[in-house]
Amino acid sequence: MADKILLANRIVLRSVLPLMKVYYHEVPGIHSGWLKKVDGVIQFSIKGTDTGAYIEFKDGEIDVLQGVHSSPHIHFAFKTADDMNKMFTGKVGRPPSIKGLSNIKLLLKMLPLLLGLTLLLPNKQPKKDDLRLLKVKLTLFMVMNALSQLNKGGDEDMRAWTSKMPDRIFQLSVQPDGPAAYLRVKAGNSKSGRGLYARKAPFIHMIFNGLDGAYKVLAQNKDTVKAMGDGDVRVEGSPEYAGTLGSFMIRVQNLLIPPKGKK
Amino acid sequence: MAEGMTWSIEEADKLTQAEIYGQVLTQMGERDNKIIAMTADLAKSTKIGAFNVKFPDRFINMGIAENSLFGVAAGLALAGYKPVVSTFAVFTALRSAEQVRTDICYQNLNVKIIATHAGISFGQAGSTHHCTEDIAVMRSFANMTVIVPADGIETGNAVEAAMNWPGPVYIRIGRGFEPPVHTRRDYGFQIGKAVTMREGMDVTIICCGVTVLQAVRAARVLEGQGLSVRILNLHTIKPIDKEAIIKAVTETRRIVTVEEHNVECGLGSAVADVIVESGKACAFKKLGIPDVFAIVGYPEDLYNYYKIDADGIVAAISELMGKEIEEDENWDDET
Repeated sequence: MADKILLANRIVLRSVLPLMKVYYHEVPGIHSGWLKKVDGVIQFSIKGTDTGAYIEFKDGEIDVLQGVHSSPHIHFAFKTADDMNKMFTGKVGRPPSIKGLSNIKLLLKMLPLLLGLTLLLPNKQPKKDDLRLLKVKLTLFMVMNALSQLNKGGDEDMRAWTSKMPDRIFQLSVQPDGPAAYLRVKAGNSKSGRGLYARKAPFIHMIFNGLDGAYKVLAQNKDTVKAMGDGDVRVEGSPEYAGTLGSFMIRVQNLLIPPKGKK
Repeated sequence: MAEGMTWSIEEADKLTQAEIYGQVLTQMGERDNKIIAMTADLAKSTKIGAFNVKFPDRFINMGIAENSLFGVAAGLALAGYKPVVSTFAVFTALRSAEQVRTDICYQNLNVKIIATHAGISFGQAGSTHHCTEDIAVMRSFANMTVIVPADGIETGNAVEAAMNWPGPVYIRIGRGFEPPVHTRRDYGFQIGKAVTMREGMDVTIICCGVTVLQAVRAARVLEGQGLSVRILNLHTIKPIDKEAIIKAVTETRRIVTVEEHNVECGLGSAVADVIVESGKACAFKKLGIPDVFAIVGYPEDLYNYYKIDADGIVAAISELMGKEIEEDENWDDET
């Protein structure tokens, strides 16, 4: 059975952390003045392992890469995967040991991006439309990538579901012109992507009715079944497969933020 | 649908394709005295004889003289009549190809042809009575409309529609005994518009005639294996429903065509033409009689032999699902 903490960690590193890049591009004024020119590498890793990801600022651009950098300028080293997971899902864990804290400018450059990721948390309910849209976009991207990580990380049920699957696209989109993300599955392989998949019609297409419809569901303000009844979201394709996909989405959510009383 | 048609869906279970068209034609003849039924010594086999019982003065049996049959039909059409000609497909498309082409199609005359015993439906009669080339021949004639109904119900609809369709029409049916696949008459039959028998997103089966039922059966099996199969009943080979084909290519990216005809120049080739012209890529497989003269036997055995029955379709699709529709096989570069 796949280790839930390691699965959650995989999702944190590969599905959540890379969203910093999205946030960086969506909030253009986030780094103004001298911060724009600050370059450097910030590493997040688990001690004694090669599990980690690092953020690289270079020439005004940002990249989020998997693995361990040979010489990061700031290094957050967590004792366990669980500690890292807690930090990125808004809970309190053992703090990491931090090297390179004297690199204040680089830290200041990274902090607003780190705080930006809190937009994904259920208790973050922005009022402004641009932030609501950003929350929807980040959530769509995160969910589809996390489903792929669930598969690649070895979740038995997800593996069983994908292993017999022909080439299929599971699409989420906000209509008429909102953000979209998809999951491509084929014979046990999976891959997430952003936007509308153009080379084949989706096998399942969950279509949110505008920003409001998407926000209600993705910010967990309305139950999906009720949202469907109210026209906030509709599903094109097999309802059975849509239901299974939905249950895997809930599994991802529970991995990152376990329901009270469960670990 | 023509007003006043009285044949019922229940009859479709009891009547052959030919018997239904015989009934439909007779009913249409009651309202339109310009309709003339014609055959060449095959009134009983083709079931057009039903018209003779009711309207003997508007029924012409030319004897075993198919070339004259089509020539006279052309003349009647020029005189303002609406001739409906029925004989075996092999005699229509091969023996009388010149008359159909030059006498009828060249002048774009209002002659409706109902060709029976097409494909290998008269399998036991041998190669002389097989006709696995007629779709190819007929679709190459300018002005000709080519329809291959799936069953008796669709044949009835096709005959009604053809009588109101300008120019020559070739309706291709079997010898009878083909079980029905439609369960109602009002499913929206239109010449030139494919019927979506079922929706699906993994693969599309494009079929016509008797293979539609086989495709439906195959889809049930494949569904049990977790595949979502779309079926397009492309009853009209010409004019072809490009929109439905391109939509299927775009949405499912895997196409299997199934026809009771030589795979050269039939339904599959017509579909391939549309796909190639569209510039869209897909995994593609044509099922049909290979480029040979078919062996002799009962049609059901031949369908199995040539892998155009449900088992053959299932096997072909299982193989096709392994083919790539997406060159991108890098599963790590996700976002």
